[in-house]
Amino acid sequence: MGEIILTMKGIDKTFPGVHALDNVDFELCRGEVHALMGENGAGKSTLMKVLTGIYKKDKGTIIYDGKTVEFTNPREAQQAGIVIVHQELNMLGHLTVAQNIFIGREFMKGIRIDDERMNVEAARLFKRLNINIDPTEKMSNLTVGKQQMCEIAKAISHEAKIIVFDEPTAALTESEVNELFEIIRDLKKKDIGIIYITHRMDEIKLITDRVSVMRDGAYVGTLISKDSTKNDIVNMMVGRVIYEEPKTESKVAEDAPVVLKVEGLNAGKLVRDVSFELHKGEILGFSGLMGAGRTETAKAIIGADPKESGDIYVNGKKVEINTPEDAVKCGIGYLSEDRKRYGLMLQRNVAENSTITFLENFMKGIFIDNKKENNETEKYIESLAIKTPGIDQLIINLSGGNQQKVILTKWLVRNCDILIFDEPTRGIDVGAKSDIYKLMNELVKEGKSIIMISSELPEILRMSDRIIVMCEGRKSGELRIEEASQEKIMHLATLRN
Amino acid sequence: MSRQIQNIPASSNKSIVQRLGGQNVVVFLIVVALFGFFCIVSPNFRRYSTILSILDYSYYITLIAIGVTFPLITGGVDLSIGTGLICYSLIGGYLVVYQGWPVWIGMIVCVLCGAIIGFINGFLVGTMNLPPFLATLCTMMMTRGLGSICSTGLGIPWPTAGTEGGWFRTIFKLNIGDMKLPLGFLWILLLTALMSFVLNHTKVGRYIIAIGSNKEATRLSGINTKYIYIAAYVISGTFAGLASIAYSAIFASVYPGTGAGFELEGIGGAIIGGVSMTGGVGSITGTLLGVFVICILKTGLPFIGLQANWQQIITGIVLITAVLIDLSRNVKGTKSITTAFKKR
Amino acid sequence: MYNSQICTIVRCANFYRIIFSNRHRREIVYRIRQSPLVKKIGFNRIVLFLVLLAMYCFFAVFAKNFVSYNRLLSAMNYAYFLGFLSLGVTFVIATGGIDFSIGPVMFCAAIMSGYLLTHYHWPLWLCLISSVVIGMLYGTLNGYLVAYKSVPSFITSMAIMQISKGVASVFTKAQSVSWPQLVQENGWYRNLIKTRVGNTYIPVGMIILLTTAIICAIVLNKTKMGRYLLSLGSNKEAVWLSGVNVKKWEMIAYIICGTLAGIAAIFFVAAYTTVQPGYGDQYNNEAIAGCVMGGTSMGGGLASIGGTFIGVMIISILQEGILAIGLNKNYQLVITGIIVIVAVYLDVISRQKRN
Repeated sequence: MGEIILTMKGIDKTFPGVHALDNVDFELCRGEVHALMGENGAGKSTLMKVLTGIYKKDKGTIIYDGKTVEFTNPREAQQAGIVIVHQELNMLGHLTVAQNIFIGREFMKGIRIDDERMNVEAARLFKRLNINIDPTEKMSNLTVGKQQMCEIAKAISHEAKIIVFDEPTAALTESEVNELFEIIRDLKKKDIGIIYITHRMDEIKLITDRVSVMRDGAYVGTLISKDSTKNDIVNMMVGRVIYEEPKTESKVAEDAPVVLKVEGLNAGKLVRDVSFELHKGEILGFSGLMGAGRTETAKAIIGADPKESGDIYVNGKKVEINTPEDAVKCGIGYLSEDRKRYGLMLQRNVAENSTITFLENFMKGIFIDNKKENNETEKYIESLAIKTPGIDQLIINLSGGNQQKVILTKWLVRNCDILIFDEPTRGIDVGAKSDIYKLMNELVKEGKSIIMISSELPEILRMSDRIIVMCEGRKSGELRIEEASQEKIMHLATLRN
Repeated sequence: MSRQIQNIPASSNKSIVQRLGGQNVVVFLIVVALFGFFCIVSPNFRRYSTILSILDYSYYITLIAIGVTFPLITGGVDLSIGTGLICYSLIGGYLVVYQGWPVWIGMIVCVLCGAIIGFINGFLVGTMNLPPFLATLCTMMMTRGLGSICSTGLGIPWPTAGTEGGWFRTIFKLNIGDMKLPLGFLWILLLTALMSFVLNHTKVGRYIIAIGSNKEATRLSGINTKYIYIAAYVISGTFAGLASIAYSAIFASVYPGTGAGFELEGIGGAIIGGVSMTGGVGSITGTLLGVFVICILKTGLPFIGLQANWQQIITGIVLITAVLIDLSRNVKGTKSITTAFKKR
Repeated sequence: MYNSQICTIVRCANFYRIIFSNRHRREIVYRIRQSPLVKKIGFNRIVLFLVLLAMYCFFAVFAKNFVSYNRLLSAMNYAYFLGFLSLGVTFVIATGGIDFSIGPVMFCAAIMSGYLLTHYHWPLWLCLISSVVIGMLYGTLNGYLVAYKSVPSFITSMAIMQISKGVASVFTKAQSVSWPQLVQENGWYRNLIKTRVGNTYIPVGMIILLTTAIICAIVLNKTKMGRYLLSLGSNKEAVWLSGVNVKKWEMIAYIICGTLAGIAAIFFVAAYTTVQPGYGDQYNNEAIAGCVMGGTSMGGGLASIGGTFIGVMIISILQEGILAIGLNKNYQLVITGIIVIVAVYLDVISRQKRN
């Protein structure tokens, strides 16, 4: 490890209602891969956005290369040599690969952009990194993995001294991950400092030198990767031990009735010939890499995406589901991974959000029966322990966990028996997380059935009775909880035919 | 890994090239077919004078269409170009006719006014974050009022050919003996080439496409999107200014209160020519071809016995049809609904 | 005379400065906002109402003979049809869309039904109904394209605007249409806006407009339809995934808008009798201005019928006042444009703050 290149001291950042970063310290050396770990919402991405000037910090100092710096926009950070490979890919689909890589600093020939030279330079860059991509290809035609490689190439072409990787492997297949690690090792040799944000424990040992842990917006501590165990890191991440051990056996009887049966479902490239059964009182986990087609399968089932073929049976009866309206009538409720986009009406209040699924039930003649509506909502606020000042509170003012509970409320109001949870705990803080888990377990005890789509293996292993693993739109395997392990799931998730 | 390289890029690359190239070819065929249709149906249509008048009426529409292509590619729209061009023409004409300014200064004033209104639009959209259609709707109304106020409510007859200052009409139509040459078409072609270059080979053009493709990512790449918005709308405004010169040169007089609806012909032409309402896609050549679809329809309809008022109805229908085609094309173009969702 | 008035204004301004010094201002505003009465009526609406009063006072001071019942009645002539347009477009904006076609649609309805009355001699009542039906048809077409074909609403409504202008011109062969005067046969419809009782005029139109506004407010806030419209304006995908037929409801918003534009046509001719084809687009902007000023958010999901009503009054007083101080109609175009820009900008800012 070389000398220290970056020191962040006492970084503080508050958003309305959230103390996102609380006096955080961080340090990085040249030629080091420094992992940054923590739960969702622990503040890792926020810290990196402060570093690269996307957010303005409230307090604290950043010393980079011996000088105190303050970047006001990403461009300044780039020019100083700090670049970030975002988790959500920032690609411009209508432009070519080379045009994407050199966006904002095109080679010029007078006033004309020198596209030929950009293509040559991009090709040279790819050759250096041993990546096989055509620079003249349109960005939108590449696979997610390839797009990520382009982002990395772009970062490197900035003559960066520090590169931040924000969960780079979330969407990559095993071979692509190996390829990425090769690149990272190569960068290390060139004395570039690398900040590596990840959720995957096994990557810590493989690639990183040190690991810093954050929890609830605060810095917890730093460990040397090779001297620490997985448990050390987990303990730092969660603080208290709230993670139960993985479920060891399913409590659902083998002969429990099948409430939902999907047969030969096809919809677009990401849902190919998917078949499965969901039993009453069961939590069925859906695992796989990002872009494996899990969300797409759910959307096809509820009729949000058009399906090409396939039969759906609810309680043994074949049903036609072409719109979400049909799905709701069959008693299927979908809780989206993107709550704000697909789940909530942020400008409306708790009661209105709760009853939207079943307004017919709250009518008195042609008018809405506000009293009945409020009573029903109150009931669920109490039973789900939703923290809100009142039923007329706007949804936008609630925390992530409580928002999730409101979405759950709207399906319970409608009395849906089949619930599809898509990443139920994404962006929810640790305490609320176990709340949601508890609720899910209670729901299945009451006889509801749950499909849980999740990218977090511990969550899958902890909650599911049965696990379906998807890869590239196909069901690549099905595991009973008794036989499931992280390794087996990962193997299936990268299994191609 | 290697499997993907062979499969995905190679095949879809071709289809996209075909689609973009194909679009222009299809529109060109439509232009030819329409022209052929009117030629067959109406003998009067098959005259040099008709072709001349199609071209005459096409200039100002083509110019605003080329201009509006830029805001459209950013994912916005500019509605102020129609009433704007009348406003600029009234202001310029007022200075020339009633104040005795030289014609060339009047023309510069036209273009300058356009650029200023364009700048205001860009500022409202880029800096103040107003929805483009509302911001430009307001400037549309304001230019309409301003035009009338500046010209004191009178129609403005720009100098006629032959009189002093009438030379400016020959910019678009040159008389050599009995022969009338549509000189304007040459300028249109030159401007098309120029703006194609700006769109595809300069930074401004590249960033305009980038914004239309993904605004947030463009901003994160360290590009000041505010300036790019302003640039896009200034281009649009400036072309409306140029169009106002073309309009003044073709018509004997310019009247306040007119001009509403021109913008739809321009926007419609651009969309027929393959500019996508969702931004990021478009070509100037396509726009040029698209405008001719509308212009031939407009000029041709009276020849098959439909009165001039039908033009408005036809413009509306053509516009909706063009957008519907654009939408269906988009659904096919995106890989899955999810990616379409994510983009929004 | 003017001098003393200016003195008063300056004194008032000083008074304002003292009361609302920075230290106190926040607290006072906060207290006013929290008081139960203000909460019930809505702070924004009170501010808007004060603006209306201030504007009236302004014109009362600077325009000659502005304060009179007749002047008010003539301002209201403008408010009636604009009110119906604005109420209608409030529903559309509540769903997050926009309708630029209302003005020309109103003109088209007025022209076509007037032509039916004067050239085809249809009975008056049938003509009035046909006017509403024509508006409704345009609304349906508009709504169908937006909801079921996903065409952006501003594009559809621009196209409908063009089509409605064209249809009106074609139908009447580009002639203007004059509806009968009050004293003529079939002139009774003009009583819809003001009826003479003895020596005074009763503003019937105001009663009808207010009733309609109250019905609209009830529909928007108390019925299933209103709830769905506001909800889908707030987040269309979420409502759709909740199993609501959003397309149907979105289309209905446009139908309501078109229908109210058809009713507006009746009040337009009742006030001004003569309609010319090819015009009407300036009223779009004024109707939208009234609506947005009243606190209906361009982002959808937030709407206030009361606000729209006051907004319309402001626009109407403004147009009467502009004429009264000797400026022409064109200035109103510019001023309304600026008002819309400011109102929408305030809306954009408040939305950014909330998110």
